[in-house]
Amino acid sequence: MAAETTESRTATPTLDWLTVALVLGGVLCLYYLAPLVSLFLSVPIGEIIGRMGDPTVVNAATTSLLSASISAAIATVFGLPLAYWLARSEARWTNAVLAVVVLPLVLPPTVSGIVLLTVFGPNAPIGAAAVAAGFPLTRSLAGVVLAQTFVASPFVVVTAKAAFESVDRTLEHASRSLGKNRWTTARRVTLPLAAPGILAGVTLAFARAMGEFGATMMVAYYPMTMPVKIWKSFQSVGLDGAYPVAIILVVIAVAALVVLNTVASNPWD
Amino acid sequence: MLEINRVEKSYGAFDLGPTDLTVNEEVLSVLGPSGCGKTTLLAVIAGITDPDTGTITLGGTELTGRTPEDRGTVLVFQDGALFPHMTARENVAYAAASTGKIDELAATLEIGDVLDQRAATLSGGERQRVALARSLAADPAALLLDEPLANLDAPIKRRLRDELRPLLSSLSIPVVYVTHDQHEATVIGDRLAVVRDGAIQQCATPSEVFARPATPFVASFTGRTNLFRARIAEGESDPALEWAGHQFDVPDYEYPVGEAVWFCIRPEYVTVVDASGAGGQNVLDGRVRRRVFEGDGYRIDVVPASADDVLQVTLSPPEYERLELDDRKRVRLSLPRDAIHIVGECDRTDAGCGSGVDEMESGSTE
Repeated sequence: MAAETTESRTATPTLDWLTVALVLGGVLCLYYLAPLVSLFLSVPIGEIIGRMGDPTVVNAATTSLLSASISAAIATVFGLPLAYWLARSEARWTNAVLAVVVLPLVLPPTVSGIVLLTVFGPNAPIGAAAVAAGFPLTRSLAGVVLAQTFVASPFVVVTAKAAFESVDRTLEHASRSLGKNRWTTARRVTLPLAAPGILAGVTLAFARAMGEFGATMMVAYYPMTMPVKIWKSFQSVGLDGAYPVAIILVVIAVAALVVLNTVASNPWD
Repeated sequence: MLEINRVEKSYGAFDLGPTDLTVNEEVLSVLGPSGCGKTTLLAVIAGITDPDTGTITLGGTELTGRTPEDRGTVLVFQDGALFPHMTARENVAYAAASTGKIDELAATLEIGDVLDQRAATLSGGERQRVALARSLAADPAALLLDEPLANLDAPIKRRLRDELRPLLSSLSIPVVYVTHDQHEATVIGDRLAVVRDGAIQQCATPSEVFARPATPFVASFTGRTNLFRARIAEGESDPALEWAGHQFDVPDYEYPVGEAVWFCIRPEYVTVVDASGAGGQNVLDGRVRRRVFEGDGYRIDVVPASADDVLQVTLSPPEYERLELDDRKRVRLSLPRDAIHIVGECDRTDAGCGSGVDEMESGSTE
């Protein structure tokens, strides 16, 4: 009887769900990689190097790197305190605040641009005042930064919030019980432990800002960022003109991803 | 002196207090089961959470409303709560005013060898030693320990427990030591507060708590005991205790004749006497139901001749071997008069018997 049972068990084909998962996930990965490989194969390396010397491409890359860095910095300065508050507050309305933070993530980028124009556009009170002060908030680097910060900063807040939440509160209680105030505790205990997650959020925000197109195009078409430059090349020359610039942007994005993967793992685990 | 006055704290359905406690320059063990509110009590003292009502003073200074860092109380957590991104030395230095202090504490707590190891790599015992060193480095005015030995292996736990007792006593500050382990509470504490459902049921020296538990819960939670329902009966000269068809001579208690009461006697005080019963007080016969070897001795369950209750007796190995006990063997037991303690009336629901009186089953408990 026991032998029969064993036989029937071995005879029944079992579905290896891990293999199924790998196959399904593999299809998705192929879907990600195939267009990228195709893009790289479609342009001779010499042409890419040649376009890297194009002043308009260099200007666009400079604008993108500069504005994305500023946007990531602003998102960090304002986003970290908010993330900490969201992670630690027991107020009932934290969910409402979190919903506000996530709003830019779910808005279509062009709608984000329109929303920003209603506040910072030259006809809006704030925008008009800024123009009068000689610091226009549209068609300027400031405009690019405003658009990028709007769409990218939620990445810092959401990721840093999760990072702060992953820090055992007992450690903060221990620190304060040892006579250290809230600020010292945050600086010497919470922030170092949450740093990998925070850096991941900042990197994501930077990458998102680098790739931002819709809101940026609405608020500040000029100075051109890389995505806007790609769009313009596509419109004026066609795909052949857009490909090399797109590849340069992909390289920058991949570099950001490498940084992300390097810093995202928590060495204290 | 740490004084806790009428402190109450509610978490949903759980209520702590009102609690009154005074801790002088001594070690007070707070003993209770999981979820009884002992950790909440520490959190309230440390300022991690605010009490709903009541006040806490330390050395005459009102602590209520102060931030945790401004209280002078230091809390040692169950797992040590060492900062994992720092070495053991950095953890101690976090609270220490000088490097000399670190070296001094490292020597006291024997952590010199692990000072430069990252906290995350330390063993459980080492973690707690470093956590203690760190807490003492802060020069606390009161030290609060939340089950610091709970997660340790038995041999390390025993060793640390024996080391902690003189160390904590030497501090000459109020120390509140929370644990659910009655043995640990007894060894470490100068006094023992037994907590149940957010209420302190008894606070006294460990020997007093063990000899004269105030409630059936205290009797059952502070080590193994024989806890039975009985009745006060008219004795030959003084009131006696009637149980298992016998009348027992008991110390003087002011209970009226006919009153139903709980009484207890620790198994180690029950003795097996010879058939004549000579030399024994309150002798009764019974039959061995079960014998259990417990490493350092034997536990014998005996069913009295005229009762359904099971009376536990603990015997040392030599005594057990001398008696040559077998299952179902008849034995004669003696319940010494002074070892019998009447815990309280059975129908009382106040602190005397506690709210758990209805849940208490007559019998032996551990």
